[in-house]
Amino acid sequence: MMDRNEVQTRVKQAIARVLGAEESEIQDTSNFVFDLGADSQQSVELVAAFEEEFDIEMDEDEALAVQSVGDAVNFIAGHLESAGR
Amino acid sequence: MSLRVPKNIDAVFAPQSVAVVGATRTRGTVPHDIFQNILDGGFQGVTYPVSPRSPSISGVKAYKYVVDIPDEVDLAIIVFPSSVCHLALEQCGQKGVKAAIIISAGFREVGPAGVDRERQAQEIAAKHGINLIGPNCLGAINTDPSVSLNASFARKMPAEGSIAFLSQSGALCTAVLDYARGKHIGFSKFISFGNKADINEIDLLHYLAADKATKVILIYLEEITDGRGLLEAAQTVIRETGKPILAIKSGRTHAGASAAASHTGSLAGSDDVCDAIFRQAGILRCRTIEEMFNKATALAYQPWPRSDRVAIVTNAGGPGVMATDACVENGLSLARFSEETRSVLKDRLPRTANLNNPVDVIGDARSDRYATALGAVLKDADTAGAMVILTPQSMTDIDAIADEIVRTAAANPDKPVLASFMGEADVRTGIDILQRNHIPHYILPESMASAFAAAREVERLGAVTREPVARFEDVDPVRARQVLSQAGDQGYLPEAQAFQVLEAYGLPVLGTDVAATADEAAAAAARAGFPAVMKVNSPDVVHKLDVGGVMLDIATGEEAHAAFESIVAAVGKAHPEARVDGVTVRRMIPAGQEVILGCRRDPVFGPVIMFGLGGSFVEVFRDVSFRAAPVDEHAVHTMVREVQSFPLLSGARGRAPCDVAAVETCIKRLAQLAVDLPEVAELDMNPVIVQEDGEGAFVADARILVSEPAAAS
Repeated sequence: MMDRNEVQTRVKQAIARVLGAEESEIQDTSNFVFDLGADSQQSVELVAAFEEEFDIEMDEDEALAVQSVGDAVNFIAGHLESAGR
Repeated sequence: MSLRVPKNIDAVFAPQSVAVVGATRTRGTVPHDIFQNILDGGFQGVTYPVSPRSPSISGVKAYKYVVDIPDEVDLAIIVFPSSVCHLALEQCGQKGVKAAIIISAGFREVGPAGVDRERQAQEIAAKHGINLIGPNCLGAINTDPSVSLNASFARKMPAEGSIAFLSQSGALCTAVLDYARGKHIGFSKFISFGNKADINEIDLLHYLAADKATKVILIYLEEITDGRGLLEAAQTVIRETGKPILAIKSGRTHAGASAAASHTGSLAGSDDVCDAIFRQAGILRCRTIEEMFNKATALAYQPWPRSDRVAIVTNAGGPGVMATDACVENGLSLARFSEETRSVLKDRLPRTANLNNPVDVIGDARSDRYATALGAVLKDADTAGAMVILTPQSMTDIDAIADEIVRTAAANPDKPVLASFMGEADVRTGIDILQRNHIPHYILPESMASAFAAAREVERLGAVTREPVARFEDVDPVRARQVLSQAGDQGYLPEAQAFQVLEAYGLPVLGTDVAATADEAAAAAARAGFPAVMKVNSPDVVHKLDVGGVMLDIATGEEAHAAFESIVAAVGKAHPEARVDGVTVRRMIPAGQEVILGCRRDPVFGPVIMFGLGGSFVEVFRDVSFRAAPVDEHAVHTMVREVQSFPLLSGARGRAPCDVAAVETCIKRLAQLAVDLPEVAELDMNPVIVQEDGEGAFVADARILVSEPAAAS
């Protein structure tokens, strides 16, 4: 089963790719919009990037409601755990 | 000046520094265009973009967070999505920002989640003392050249002017700006206040009252949350500054009129009440944007006419007649020229010209004839102002005539000049000349007359003093409350108890007995004196006459006995479920003019008083007037006289005049009752029978709806 640290690392890598940000800028507490500057299009791209990175399918509305990096890590980790991964 | 300016709205309209929080580089989006507009508008202060991702916006260094800005920031424009506005606002608070405009939608207007976000924003703003505009708004504009701020996503900076525009609708603002641009109308201040989570139209009214650049205030409202506050603010602004206020109020106020619970309740529809209270406040209510600007330009650009006497100059007879009709319909009259004026006109105009009013300079008139006619009529002492009409004949030198109108108006600066160049294509350049030189222009003479009349009305109302009504000291609110606390589960007080409440406030009720049996009724009638009147005593029967619940002209004890039996039987048949507490008996009031007086606690405006033609058919004729309480002497005076049936009171067709003073006293006492006793939700006195002048007025029937149990003191 993937541990949380690995989930966190891969989430940050995906964010850095989509937003063109430095990984060092991306904290657990970072808000996607307020701290990382994601616009509405990029928010959708982030969901797609996470789905691809982790080979999962997420409910788009639920995923878009996640506001911070840490919440995204928890959301995905929870998703993986439910799938036994 | 005793004007209250509780909010720091200067920080909104005249900041030294502005931060656009959430700015982006994407052209054609609000977060980009607002920042660009501030730059393009020539803002004289310092502008900072705040962007989490971009190092610069439009070539200006950007900061990741507003707290990173090294200098003071007076005003923050927040353009982030609503989900993170609270984060931005909190940082603004930490930064010490004085005012913020939240442009973003997604608050109260979208439902419960948005309501929570808006409340959160209000709390943060209150915590940090931030004066907040919005959310969900277009922004704010100040055309003062020393500020030159376009902090909005309106396309262009409007021209500088003396008209201020406040709007609850952001989208309407952009249409208004474009409309005004086309007519060369400028603004002093322009603001869309959106959801008014903090600063509302009342705060802005007080601010604009003190604003030297603003001469006329225009408001567009969809929702009024504090009607009483708006009324008082408008009255204060108008009384202390004389600045006219014009308003469009669309949609409906909160529902409130209970269905047929009382005559007052069913007649006091929210828009009728709003209409009346705007008039009471001195606000000119307009139905359309066009009407609003038609009147605003006359008020802002020209002096106000000192009388209702108009001079009309026209090159076409038909439109001259149309203008005359429109003047009369709007309460204006035509000036009567002196012999000297007529002599000048006769000397200089063709023989075929009409030298009376309207002055018809004839179809082939060119600019010289217009100049002569307009100059002569403006110099006439009976003329308060002039209306000039032009129709484009082949020889009409339109632009030259426009120039002459401008020149002649400038030479007569104490009298207003309005113009109507009728048409669209050929007259366009002439209209342009007029509008650029602040001669108000109207496509049609009717609009011109309406605008002239509005300016006259504002001028006239400026001289009206609004003396408050002195409180009556001979009232007993404690006693009234004790009686109100006896209201049943439905909240209604039957007539006998309603009369006791009225009596506690000095309203003229005759002594009334309650009788539970036919024998008691006969005895009560004998005590009251014949003829007597008997009515069913029930909180559940509104329209007593309709169900046989009223017997008049009872002449003897036997008749009283029979009347009791009849009433009880009739009501029992019509309303078997009604609670009947016997009957009320009193002496019959002599015949007189029936009027209705009532009050209702409106959810927006508070206590509202109603007066009008009374009796059973009050809801058919609907000839009523409204005022918000507390009232002043002027309000009482006008509400009695503005009903169509007032001549019935003042004496029509040989009838003796009625005791209007007694009616006015009743209104004043009722208004005081309505203010003192907030538990009175609705009150009807119908009819109040008004006797001849000097003989008083008497309440013949009354009904009170109590909104919540009143604790007996």
